[in-house]
Order: sequence, then structure tokens, then C-alpha cells
Amino acid sequence: MNSSTALYTLHERIWHWLQAAAMMLLILTGLAIHYPDRFPLLGSMANAIHWHSWIGFALILNAFLGIFYHLTAEKYHHFLPRMDDFTGAAAKQARFYLYGIFKGEKHPLETDPRRKLNALQKIAYLALLNILLPYQIVTGVLMWGADRWPQFFDRVGGLWVLGPAHTLGSYLFLAFLVGHIYLATIGPSPWSHLRAMTVGQETPVQTAVE
Amino acid sequence: MYRKRYHFVLGIAILLRAGVAQTPTASAPQRALSRLAHPAVVLKDETGRNVLETGKPISTRQTCGEKCHDYEFITGSFHFQQGKSEMDRNLLGSHGIAPFNSSPGMFGKFSLIPNRQLTHAGITDAGDVDMSQPEWLTKCGGCHTGGGISEYDLRGQKFLSPAAKPDGPLDPSYTIRDRETGRVVPWDWEKSGVAEADCFLCHVPNASRGARRKQMTAGNFRWANNATLTGTGLVAEQEKGTFTYNRAAFNTDGTVKPETLDLSDPAIKNCAMCHGFTARNTTTIQPIQFADIARGTEKSGWIYNGAKISETVTPKIVGKEKMDYPWDAHAAKGVVCIDCHFAPNNPGRMIHDDPKKNLRYKPISEDIAVYLKRPDHNFARGNIPPETVNLTSHNTMRACGDCHDAEKGHAFLPYKSRHFKALACQTCHIPAVHFWAYRSDDWGFLMDTGTSRITFRGIDGSIVDPESDVTGYLPAYITTPDKNNNLQIRPTNLITGVYWFDKGKARPVFTWQMQAAFFAGREGEDWKYRPEIVKAFADKDGIIDIPQAVYDTPTKIALVKGLLQKYAGVGDPELRIDVAPWAMSHSIVGKKQATKECTACHAGNSILRRPVDLNSFLPRGVPIMYRGKNLNVVNYQGKEPTFDNQPLLSSFYIIGNSRALWVEWLGWLSVAGSILFGLVHGTLRLLRGRL
Repeated sequence: MNSSTALYTLHERIWHWLQAAAMMLLILTGLAIHYPDRFPLLGSMANAIHWHSWIGFALILNAFLGIFYHLTAEKYHHFLPRMDDFTGAAAKQARFYLYGIFKGEKHPLETDPRRKLNALQKIAYLALLNILLPYQIVTGVLMWGADRWPQFFDRVGGLWVLGPAHTLGSYLFLAFLVGHIYLATIGPSPWSHLRAMTVGQETPVQTAVE
Repeated sequence: MYRKRYHFVLGIAILLRAGVAQTPTASAPQRALSRLAHPAVVLKDETGRNVLETGKPISTRQTCGEKCHDYEFITGSFHFQQGKSEMDRNLLGSHGIAPFNSSPGMFGKFSLIPNRQLTHAGITDAGDVDMSQPEWLTKCGGCHTGGGISEYDLRGQKFLSPAAKPDGPLDPSYTIRDRETGRVVPWDWEKSGVAEADCFLCHVPNASRGARRKQMTAGNFRWANNATLTGTGLVAEQEKGTFTYNRAAFNTDGTVKPETLDLSDPAIKNCAMCHGFTARNTTTIQPIQFADIARGTEKSGWIYNGAKISETVTPKIVGKEKMDYPWDAHAAKGVVCIDCHFAPNNPGRMIHDDPKKNLRYKPISEDIAVYLKRPDHNFARGNIPPETVNLTSHNTMRACGDCHDAEKGHAFLPYKSRHFKALACQTCHIPAVHFWAYRSDDWGFLMDTGTSRITFRGIDGSIVDPESDVTGYLPAYITTPDKNNNLQIRPTNLITGVYWFDKGKARPVFTWQMQAAFFAGREGEDWKYRPEIVKAFADKDGIIDIPQAVYDTPTKIALVKGLLQKYAGVGDPELRIDVAPWAMSHSIVGKKQATKECTACHAGNSILRRPVDLNSFLPRGVPIMYRGKNLNVVNYQGKEPTFDNQPLLSSFYIIGNSRALWVEWLGWLSVAGSILFGLVHGTLRLLRGRL
């Protein structure tokens, strides 16, 4: 039996779960805004908008705290892909997910506290945290500010541009969330990644799939 | 000095009068000011002598205009000119008004509801004659208050003056089309006399428009203003259309007893006589007043009344038990017409700011004496479709925002500014109309009465039957620019017309031309269809019933087109549909009844895109006109043709209702792909025992 390793610090775990909760709530309240007649959450669309805005700002705050933490604790390197991560390592990881996992092959990455993310995760988070999240924040804040800076709001296209743009981002977040939750089950056991992100400890994965 | 003081006292009197013209009721708060009367007046004839001595018709030019009020200035305003002073092709063109109209006002513009139009000046062909100036006065002069249009010809000459002479045998100011023979014959102005401005119609609480209308219809213009005073006890009608004066109504010095005329600012009742909103706080709604129909009510179902709907006795309002609120919230608060539609230079009512000059208060306003001498009768008004009247006074009235600070209320509403920019206040504050209104007026096929087929919405049964169930209706929504030129969504009633357009002459086909095409003759009021019409439209009994009077095949359209060419000389007739939105500004409900649910608009089944039924018998495949432009706003997909406002609302992105289809497809495909990947991958892991 392998010994457990401390993978995620308390700060990382709090940040992750706050972010996850915020995203879930944003998706739910977003559905209540986008389909107010089919998802009548929180009593009214106005309430859904109210809470969607507040939760959005909470997410933004948490995102900035996360950046601050990862920079000051020098943890940001986990998210920085190397050149190899875009090519050979990514291909290996993809091959593992699509083929090797069913053959019982070893996980291509030996996870440890210094290397927590595989190549595909790095690429995914690079896109998520550096493109999709800022995109969603910008379109969301602009929509929130429609009454506060109406001329600028109209200049960037108003709701005709921002509405569909923010909606598309929401769908992509939802798609990510589904995939993320599923992939969280690919560990030594279906619950081991979840456990790691909850209590911080996980069995290293070099023999994860045997 | 004396004159100044007189004007001051008179001014104060009239200003105070404005606030207390109505009898207060439980639901209408009383305005506490006491009332000062208009000074006693001597009624004069056209020579300036007291009518008590001469027995001649009252001349308002002499009575009101000789010393106190500037008659020419007052009658130069829209309420007396009705577009006559705006007969300018450039002005019409700059406002997108079709050139077949000779003015933007009621005196000159084509109106589909009567399918009539004032004949243009300078015509040389009898075929171009529709409604001459004298005929216009007989048809429309009941409401339109004399002066201007009934004193001056189309070239600006005063009738019965030496300079007033017809400009040829077809001059529309001096002729009329004989109803029996169809020929254009001279009008005898000496016999009819002219109708001077009828100050009494608006300023005498007991004015009688019905009596005035009777005289105007009979062509007895000279006595029309006397007739208006029938209800005051001042005059009595005699045989041959003359009137005598009741000496008991006069003081010994020859002035009229003040209580007889009770001269005052116009009360709701005065405005309602023509604009048709009913009087204040009544439980009997009478849109059909004085034996003819009042347009304001019939076009949109407006009811300006402070009484609760639930207290209505007549007509039968379906579901009124649950309507424990006033017909109009403003009426219930005691707001009168002239509070918003005031004389622009009335110092007591005028808007004192000047946003163009960055002034919240403009200290240099009209002096009360100047106002009383020259009160501007271009009354403040808004700008709602489809009215084009009084172009120079659009958006001058006291609008909602001049009294209400909407930003301070509406706590439930997110994004207030966006909502207030995109929605007219009426959109939420007129959620439903609880009265009937016009639905369609079909001039495409004439009935055997020689006229159009009219249908109404909001009523089961006849509009003149008090036993008919008034069900009301839900408005349709259109977009119009507000005074800042922002497109706003607002509620309307839709009146759909079918009519023939003469493409050769670029104008609608006149009613007399339609009659010539459809009918071989008439016996009294029964018109006899031409055999071609009967053969094509009637069933086996040879009678054309309403369901058969429809253009359900192109052949029938072609037949009538041929008849118009053959019998009416119409060069190139084309059948058209006109969908006219009549915007609503009255029948306002308060915050409790106003639309507040977000899902009313922000949902897939938004009320904004609600299909509103039009005319059941609309022909297919013909041009559809909407506010003067060819725009397809009719959806033929359902059981009956409905209004399709997609082309109008396409500029609005309504969250919860608007969808960018490619975003929805791409978005849900990505989510579905993610789920599918998890399901397939997980299943394979399970099957391979690799969980």
C-alpha cells in the first residue's frame, strides 16, 4: 500500500471549492436568467440577476485572491505548461485517457506535490483561467454595468453582443464543469481525487491504474 | 393701469378655475381653491351689436376677440387649423408622410377609417375630387371647432369676402360632390354662412356637441356656435335652423349671467365630447356620445375615468368584480386633460425648464396678461403613432417623467435605466384594455350598405347594445422613437384595413370610385351589386353574406381590379393591407395592477411577441403596409392572420426571450459532448473493470 502525500494546501482547497461553488451557483442563476420560465429559481428573475451579480463578484474576488496566493506562495508554476506539454506530454496523456486507461497502463504522470497537473490539465486550465474566465468576467461585468456606463455598454455592442457572448461562455463553463467532475473520478479510486481536494491527501498515481 | 390690473385679476381667476372645474367625488381628491368666474360677457353678432338686440348668430370673433382675446392668433393654432396651416409638401416629405396627403392634420390627410380625403387644391379633373372643404365641414365640423378651416378657403381668402372666389369649377373650397348624381356642384356659402371658432365647445361646461354637429351636418354653419349653447338654456332652436335667445339668461345690462355660460378652462367632459374618454368618475361608460362615435375610445379603448371598473353599471364589463381599481389612475387622482395637454404659454402650467439651454427653471416666462390675450391653442402633446397631427408641437406635453421620478420607485426592477429607455411607461402600466376598440375596417370589399365592413375586438356583440359582454383585449407591442429618438416598446391596438390603392395616381381609391365599381345602383340605402360581383362572390341564394365577401382567390381580386378600371376609371388599382397601430396613453393602472413579473417579457412566451389577431378575412399575397412602408407584419401561419412584430422588435435583445441560435446550438452541443464523453468513457471503464 502506498503512503499518502499532501497534494493540496488548505488555501488551495478553500480557493478551489469557493470557485467551484461560485461557478455552480452562477450556472444555476444563469439558467434562471436565460430560461426564467423553465428554471424559476429564487422566486423571480430579478432575484436571480441580483444573486448572479453578487456571486459573480465573489468569484472575481476569489480569483484575484487565488492569483495572489499562487504568486506569493510561488505555486503558479503548477499551471505553467512547458513546450513539451503542448506536444509529446499532451499526446501521451490523451493516449492514456483514450486507450491506456482501459488497458491498465501506468499513468504517464507521476504526481507529487511539485507536479500536480498533467499536460492536458495545464492546457485546459491555461485556457480556462486565462481566457474563458477573464472573457466571462469582462462580458459579465459589462452587462452588470449596463446601467452604470450605458454609453460604453452600447459602444461595445450592448446586449446584442454581450448577451450571446456571455451565454456562450456559460455553456463552455458548464461543459468544462461536466468534464471536470467526470475526470475527477479517474484516480486510484473514483473518490481519491475528490478526497485529495477535500482533505489534501492523495495516494501518488504511479500505480493508480493497475 | 386699469387694464393691467384687470388682466391680472382675470388671469388669476382663470388659473384658479383650472383646478376646480370638476365636482369632486370620493375617488377624486378635491382641489381646495375656490373658484373665480370669468367676467360677464356681452354676446355680439358679426357687426358687434348685442345679439339680444339683433337676434343674429353669435360671433365669437366679436364677442371674445374684439377686446380681450386675439382671435386671429388663437384660430391660427392647430385646434382650429387642423393641418390647414401645414399644407407644405416639403414639411410632409421631411416627416415621411405620403404625398397623397395634403396636410399632416385631420384637414388634409387620408384616413382609412372613413376612407376619405380632403380634395387637393388646384385639381382640374373631376375624378380627383373626393371630399371638398364644405363636405369636410359637414362630416367633421361637429368636432373641429370652426375658425381657420371654416372661415378661409384653401388659398387663404376669407369666405364671403370680396376676394373669396372659386378658382375654377372644381375648386374644393367652393364645391361639393352631389351624393345622388355624383356630380361636382357649387356650394352656397351665402346660405351656409361660415362657422367661426366655437369657443363654447371647450369653455362652456354644458356645451352640446350633438346640437352643434346637427347644424354642421345640415350645412347650417352660421348657427353652429349657437347650437353648442343649447344645453345652457341661453338659446332655443327654431324651425329652419335658426336660434332665439332666452332673455332670462341675460342680466339687465345685456351681459350674460355668468352662471349661464360658466366660462372656464376645458373640463374633461369638454375634451371627451370629441376625444371620447368618457366623463370623470362615471359608472356609465358612454363612448358613443351625442349620437356619433368618439374616435379616441374606439381606436384604442381608452377610458379616462376615475371611477373603479368594478363599479361600472353600463356596459357589461366581464370580470369586473376583480377589477377593484380605477379605469385610469390619473383620472382617479384628479388629473385633468389640460394638466398635461396645456396651452404652452400658460404660465400656470407651462414647463419652466429649458434643457436645450441647461436651465432647470426659466425665469423669463410668459406674462399672464400676454397669455390671456394670446393663449396658445397648439396644445402640448406627445408623439404617438400613427398620429401625425400638429407636427410642430410633438413631444411638448408634460410627459410621465415630468411628474414621476421613476428611478425613485420601481425598487423591484433591476436595470431601471435600461428598462425606462427601452419601454414606454404605458407598456407596463396598460397591461390590458378592459374596453372594446376597432379591430378592422375592410374597404377592399364594400358591403351592400355601400360602405366598409368593420369589426371590433374586446366585445361579444354589438357595440351599441348595452347587454353585450365587454371582454376587453390585450395590446400588441410595437416600437416607436421617444422624444430623444430612442426606440421604445409600447402597447397599441391594431386596426387592420384592406383598401384599394390607385398606383397610377399614387393615392388610395376613393369611396365613390369603389361604389361605382361594386354597385349597379341603389334603392335608398340598399346598394345593388353588379352582376359580375354577385356571380363571383355570392353563393347559390344569390346573396353575398359576410363570409363570402372575401378575397380568397386571386381571380376575385382580378375581377374587382377590372371593375375598378372599367367603371371607376382607376388606372392601376392594387389591393393592399394596412396594419395601423394606435398607441395607448390612457387607461393607466397604478403600481399594484401594473405588469411586474419579469417573465411577462423575459421568457420564451413573452407578451411582447404575443400573436394578436387581425382581420379574419385578410387576403393573401397582397402588399402589407405598416406606417406608410411596405413591411410584412402579418403572420398567416395560424388559424387566423396575426400580427407579427418580429421585424419591429428585431433591434431588441430581450434576455430570457431573445436567442442567438448558433450560440444555443454550439453551447448545448459542447455540454452534450462533455456528458457523452463521460458516459461513454465511464461505461468503457466499468466494462473493463478499470474504475
